[in-house]
Amino acid sequence: MTEKVEYWVKVPIGPIHPGLEEPEKFILTLDGERIINVDVKLGYNLRGIQWIAYRRNYVQMMYLVERICGICSFSHNHTYSRAVEEAAGIEVPERAEYIRAIVGELERLHSHLLNLGVVGHDIGYDTVLHLTWLAREKVMDVLEAISGNRVNYSMVTIGGVRRDIDEKGKRLILDLIKYYRSIMPQIEEVFLHDPTIEARLRDAAVVSRRIAKEYGAVGPTARGSGLKVDARWSEGLGVYPDLGVKPVLPQDVTGEKPHGDVYDRTAVRIGEIHQSLELLEHALDQMPDGKIKAFPKDNVLVAKLKIMVDGEGVGRYEAPRGELVHYVRGKKGSDKPLRWKAREPTFPNLFAIAKGLVGNQVADVVVAIASIDPCLSCTDRVAVVQGGKKIVLTEKDLLKASIEKTRELNPDVKGDPTPIGFGCAR
Amino acid sequence: MTDDNVIMEKVEVKEPTKEDLVAEAIKNRFPSAEVEIKENKWGKRRVWVRVPREDYKALMKFIVELDPEAHYSIGIEQDYGEELGYMSHILINYEEAPGVSLLVEVRAPKDDPVIPDISDVFPIAVQYEREAAEMMGIVFEGIPDSRRLFLPDDFPEGIYPLRLDEKGISEEAVKNAGHPYYIKGGAKK
Repeated sequence: MTEKVEYWVKVPIGPIHPGLEEPEKFILTLDGERIINVDVKLGYNLRGIQWIAYRRNYVQMMYLVERICGICSFSHNHTYSRAVEEAAGIEVPERAEYIRAIVGELERLHSHLLNLGVVGHDIGYDTVLHLTWLAREKVMDVLEAISGNRVNYSMVTIGGVRRDIDEKGKRLILDLIKYYRSIMPQIEEVFLHDPTIEARLRDAAVVSRRIAKEYGAVGPTARGSGLKVDARWSEGLGVYPDLGVKPVLPQDVTGEKPHGDVYDRTAVRIGEIHQSLELLEHALDQMPDGKIKAFPKDNVLVAKLKIMVDGEGVGRYEAPRGELVHYVRGKKGSDKPLRWKAREPTFPNLFAIAKGLVGNQVADVVVAIASIDPCLSCTDRVAVVQGGKKIVLTEKDLLKASIEKTRELNPDVKGDPTPIGFGCAR
Repeated sequence: MTDDNVIMEKVEVKEPTKEDLVAEAIKNRFPSAEVEIKENKWGKRRVWVRVPREDYKALMKFIVELDPEAHYSIGIEQDYGEELGYMSHILINYEEAPGVSLLVEVRAPKDDPVIPDISDVFPIAVQYEREAAEMMGIVFEGIPDSRRLFLPDDFPEGIYPLRLDEKGISEEAVKNAGHPYYIKGGAKK
């Protein structure tokens, strides 16, 4: 062993663009082309969100949580609301549950299409990238029409949803389902039946079932390895049992038993796109009429939460990348959570893939990283950036810079950026 | 797996839920643990277990005995004032929906913040423990990897960003703690 050490080479991959345009660093120990060990270094995207969260009330937190990550902003907001609802004992109207399911599935569609494009891009197959991302525009447009935004939809509030889905929205979603049913065979053809793709992705970066279990892998990474986990299903979340959700395993899509490689993870995503379309159809069909919020106004909500939250709550939801967990602890009389923590699906998946990469070729690293669909802005949510001295940069610097920039671009801009409201100790 | 089946057959007469069975099994084995089942408004029940430090590791091993497929999902570090807490969420018996959502918490006093490491039972736990160690200053006894995870290497020793006492981030350490338009009134120079 000691003789061999001399020939081992350490190669850093990242922190800039290791697969996706997100900062993370993998330090590979190589023996020739073979990977001996993978070490993960995180923390390039720390924004101190848990620290900021100590200074926000429950309603302000919804917006903070939503901005952890753009791609799964609905998931974060939803899961956080679930945790607060559990801690406060708030019941959500049934129509709101259906709207949550609908927006959640739309988000899953766009996230999975994005990842399929990235996997295509990383193996140098940019035609696929353009195909999937073109298809993705449709769901982005529908999300914009329904919620008003392409990202950060702000659809969920504690105790319900903010906006209703009207007849026009329903028609748009039905159109979308028809559109994806027509375009998915093309995408499926590429990922499941193209011999080049199969040769490239089959048996690359295998995460065995044992590793997936021990390293707590979640989402398509776990299901690709044959673990039957899906938080929507195992939690019996909201109306999902009525919609007939179940974990999509590779054998449902490819017909072979799970290998746990990149190919299987991609196949699971394709299966889930089909499942999402079905769930959307069922949800639109079954959605009852009724109110969409437990509390009509946000000021009522703030006042109620101050009295109602007493104790702890956990929210679990299957985000596009896997199981997302939020924890909230509050006490009666305080309008702020005493502790909030989120665990993002990429966190365990990263360590699982790092283990799975051992024994593979260097060339597989990029596509392997892309295949777990990492979302590093989610994972690096905590903590503090440090300057030369003992200094903590907070979001205020960014706010100040952005105000300055706006003023510079458009000195005539009106409106006062002074914060109003309470509960945020600035 | 076999243990699990035995328990299930024994108490099947009352038709208890999976949560009840798990809570019962933990209570029988660890009388010192506080076990509580809470139900939320949409009918999901969770088992909350609070266990003294001495039994913590044995309990984790017992959970793996209950279900070898146990899925460790989150480690939450907390500052309770006098004590530091570390809570884990573990999903067990999830082969059939719904799975059992189990939360295990252990606490340690601040002057002796030592909690046993459980990474030999759940290998992923070591990463959550690294985070808890750097953010809250909990010492994990026997942790195989004690490097920092999120914080930069040159971050000062002995400061734990999420602590609520004097070991946390002090006011002076926060640059520009006022809103840009409040600098005159509120911020400290």
